[in-house]
Amino acid sequence: MAGPKTAKLSSPPTTTPPETSVAVSMLWESYMQQTPNRLKLIDAFLAFIVLSGVTQFVYCVLVTNFPFNAFLSGFGSSIGQFVLTASLRAQVNPQNRSEFKDVSPERAFADFALGSIVLHFFVFNFLG
Amino acid sequence: MRFLGSALVSFLVLAGKVLTKSSSGDSVLVLLDPSLSRANYSIFFGGLEQQGYDLTFRAPKHASPAIAEYGVPNYSHVILFTPDTKSYAPDVTPQSLVGLLSENTNLLIALSPRQTPLTSLATEFSLILPPPGTPLLSHHPKRPEPANVIPVSVSESPILTPDTNPVWFSGVPHALGNSPYLVPILRAPSESFAADSTDDSGSGTILSASDKGGEGFWAGSHIGLVTGFQTTKNSRAVFAGGVELFSDEYAKKALPSGQRSGNAQFARDVAAWVFQETLTLRIDRTEHHRVNETAAPEMYTINDQIVYTAYISAYDRKTSSWKPYSGITDMQLEFTMLDPHVRIALPPVSGEPGKYEVQFRAPDRHGVFKLVVGWRRKGYSFLHTTTTVPVVPLRHDQYPRFLSAAWPYYAGAISTSVGFFLFSALWLAGDVKGEKKNLKGVKSE
Repeated sequence: MAGPKTAKLSSPPTTTPPETSVAVSMLWESYMQQTPNRLKLIDAFLAFIVLSGVTQFVYCVLVTNFPFNAFLSGFGSSIGQFVLTASLRAQVNPQNRSEFKDVSPERAFADFALGSIVLHFFVFNFLG
Repeated sequence: MRFLGSALVSFLVLAGKVLTKSSSGDSVLVLLDPSLSRANYSIFFGGLEQQGYDLTFRAPKHASPAIAEYGVPNYSHVILFTPDTKSYAPDVTPQSLVGLLSENTNLLIALSPRQTPLTSLATEFSLILPPPGTPLLSHHPKRPEPANVIPVSVSESPILTPDTNPVWFSGVPHALGNSPYLVPILRAPSESFAADSTDDSGSGTILSASDKGGEGFWAGSHIGLVTGFQTTKNSRAVFAGGVELFSDEYAKKALPSGQRSGNAQFARDVAAWVFQETLTLRIDRTEHHRVNETAAPEMYTINDQIVYTAYISAYDRKTSSWKPYSGITDMQLEFTMLDPHVRIALPPVSGEPGKYEVQFRAPDRHGVFKLVVGWRRKGYSFLHTTTTVPVVPLRHDQYPRFLSAAWPYYAGAISTSVGFFLFSALWLAGDVKGEKKNLKGVKSE
């Protein structure tokens, strides 16, 4: 899934050790250069979902978990959407082509879309 | 009809005839001991007949007319002026008299220093009598009468007419037990005591007994001479320590101060109370409903605002009718499930006679509740009513929805959905634009 990252991470240790900021910027550059745009789109969506889920959890802990069903559905929608999107990312990543031989990217997106629609149906049913 | 009734009443008032009747019936059976002359009680009995009572006289040993037949009392009130009678007809026993009280018949009983069946009856009513043959004595104030004929000043009581003159009394005192149903009407003067002889030979014993105090000593103002008893069914009984209290002789006898004695007035007041003419109250009906509604609902929901209304009337002896009564200021309403969850004042509504109303919030607790009004004051009829109402929790669709506190969760869920649609749109749009090239490019690397 994170093929490009790990491939790049294995090379920096040969350079000078204390330059962590250099390592991070190198990681970022290689990610920007080597990751396909579709995967960047997925990553942006994942980042948004993580942000939303963390915000809800912090609100639940610091302010109130009442009504609890609203918290469960809101937080659950974040988690469910994250899992589905991460699965989509794994399936459409060209580097994982060998593992998902019989799953085309179109099929993967159709699965993702159907799963998401079912998830959101349950989320909104449980929200009120 | 109503006009006719009021016209009749006004005619009677104009005619100057005072017609007052009891709230529970007009028939009175008088058991009069043969040793007592009926003429000596003409003021008392004549007054009752003038009020409209129907008096039937009977000697205690005669079997007819019967007090009760087939368990149903024949009379609304029974007067037992048989202070010295030791043997009665078989239908007069302490048990049968108590049975009459539970059938809402009222009793006026005269006692005497002699030991009779009525003495043991008085004990059942929590009146503790001294040993036989010990009448009440007093040497104060100085007077020509013997020591056992005593003028007793009348204390303030809702039963009696205010400022009644002192009454002549001769008979036996009783100590009051701790029954809450006792209503003291006349108490002994503080310098009086019970003793078996008037010559004061036993004064030393009395003095030592007074030093010890406590039980077995009948003296002072804490002992009673005339005491009422009101049952939970609101029938009334009065025990008078001496029958002479009601006699013409004492009614006409001048007090040591020269004033008229208050006996006639006192006897009339006592009879009016025991025959349920005065201080007789009842709850006509009660209502309850949610605020801003009129009909009682089948069940209440927790935290409902409930309005409870009681209508109370008092018997008016002057018109022989029940009139709305707003004079109770200390009544309380309880909303109970085993324990009172709510206990609040039930005040009279000003401007609407006889109406008592209060609004309260049902507790945040579901179950079968009772609306209870219980009002017990000495001398007055006891008021008691209960209404059972179920209180249920909110139905599943009655809870509040879309609370403001939950907006972050709603926003999170909605934004995830919107994000999903945007993502899908971008994804599909990218597919059309030929992102495949890029994918292929990566793949080829």
